[in-house]
Amino acid sequence: MQPGDIVTTILHDFPYALYGSLLVATACSFLGVYIVARRVVFFGAVLTEVSVLGVTLTFLPFFALPHTVGSLVVTLVSVVILSQLLTGKKMPRDAVLGFVFVSSVALRILIMQKAQRVESAEVENLLRGDILFVTPDLFWIMAVCFGVALTAHLLFSKEFSLIAFDAETARATGYNAGAWDLTFYLLAGAPIAVATHMVGDLFVFGFLVVPPVAAMLLVRRVPLIFLVSVGIGILSPPIGLYFAFLFDFPASPAIVGVSCIFAAIAFLYSVVRKH
Amino acid sequence: MPPIISFRNVTLGYGRKQVLSNLTFDVDKDDYFGIVGPNGAGKTTLLRAILGTLAPMSGSVHTESSHGGPLHLGYVPQRDSIDDILPYTVAEVVMMGRYKRIGLIRRPGKNDREAVVRALDYTGIASLKSQIFKDLSGGQKQRVLIARALATEPEVLVLDEPTNGMDLPSRITILDLIRRVHEEGALTVIMVSHLLDDVANHVRNIAIVEKNFFQVGSIEEVLTGANLTKLYGMSVVVEEVLGRKTILPGGMHAAR
Repeated sequence: MQPGDIVTTILHDFPYALYGSLLVATACSFLGVYIVARRVVFFGAVLTEVSVLGVTLTFLPFFALPHTVGSLVVTLVSVVILSQLLTGKKMPRDAVLGFVFVSSVALRILIMQKAQRVESAEVENLLRGDILFVTPDLFWIMAVCFGVALTAHLLFSKEFSLIAFDAETARATGYNAGAWDLTFYLLAGAPIAVATHMVGDLFVFGFLVVPPVAAMLLVRRVPLIFLVSVGIGILSPPIGLYFAFLFDFPASPAIVGVSCIFAAIAFLYSVVRKH
Repeated sequence: MPPIISFRNVTLGYGRKQVLSNLTFDVDKDDYFGIVGPNGAGKTTLLRAILGTLAPMSGSVHTESSHGGPLHLGYVPQRDSIDDILPYTVAEVVMMGRYKRIGLIRRPGKNDREAVVRALDYTGIASLKSQIFKDLSGGQKQRVLIARALATEPEVLVLDEPTNGMDLPSRITILDLIRRVHEEGALTVIMVSHLLDDVANHVRNIAIVEKNFFQVGSIEEVLTGANLTKLYGMSVVVEEVLGRKTILPGGMHAAR
């Protein structure tokens, strides 16, 4: 395939693959800065698995909701429970997240064994998402979820940054840190749930972690970290999709791979700068 | 003038577990009040009750500004409670002290920027304003946190272990800064510390906190060898050395 043909194929035959991956990569690389800053990276991985469990549950007769709705409902309920457990001191955060992660995966496998309503390959696509088959409906649901999250983060950036930086002082000066934490997790949870159903867990988790980390290695100002992280999120999908078509790679790993190359360059740059 | 902080028969704890019980004391305006005690004695619990983040299990905690209305507290937490993974500048950290006054959704204005500059100047860290907070030394970080608390324009400055983990010059510098804030700024200061020497030579009134031992009063009344011996379960003496109160293990001295 010639380079021109690849671009034409992507734009004409799979436009929502490009738009969808751009949207999800942008959303995740923005929200990921907060997730990495709060040291709850594993929270992103857990939510992607909870979201997949939500889709799986929709195959059960008593929870026969549309897949996206099922994913959202289960994810948001889990977020409410998790936000309480993560702020408590009875159990370590990692242990709470680990428990929810393994129980979600185990429950999904058990349900899929018993709910044979569709072909397993089709189920796998539904569960894991597929960039090439992003639908306009899913794209717009994701756009609304991210739009709400982005707007809230821009409006309340002061509060979110203070609580992430120094929750104790925030509480002492009258902020309800628990309510703000819950708001943060809900705002992150909804786009993560839809995005996972849309493009898969690898893509979502990859962009929640890799661009923010690369940005933190590259620049030393908080606003710039957001800009560079989102920049990597915007650049990676078109390059990754191009290489996926050129070398016949699966799309998600190719796009995440490109973001990892950016991260590797950022790491090398930070090492050189230090010396 | 009525006290600005008033505890009456207060019991504090978490869940059903009592940490401190039957506390009755006042903090007056312009006081320099120290809270001392061994690690795990309940100093932070008492501090949380003063800050209003921990409701008493019984009794009453009343705080009121000397002008009437709610008491405005500026809080300086322990440095290790700060999560500085993101590289905020010193000016950005001090501006955080203004967030509550700025309110939801609104952006910092001219008044807020001026308050930040005043706080940076007062604490002697104006030259550090563009530096990254996490790159600073312990003493510099502490100054930034004090500047942030001052930027809130408080009536009471509450400090939790402000000199913990610092070398001697940094400790002296920070304690001098706190004393200056108290004297020049006419601020009431409440300082929690497990470092008795820090408290002994700076505060006016003191509370000694231990599970079954709570005493409040002037430094001369409360900071005695007998009380400290009881508090720590070992012989302790309080001596004047070159005009400074010094806390020494009893050894051959008798507790007095």
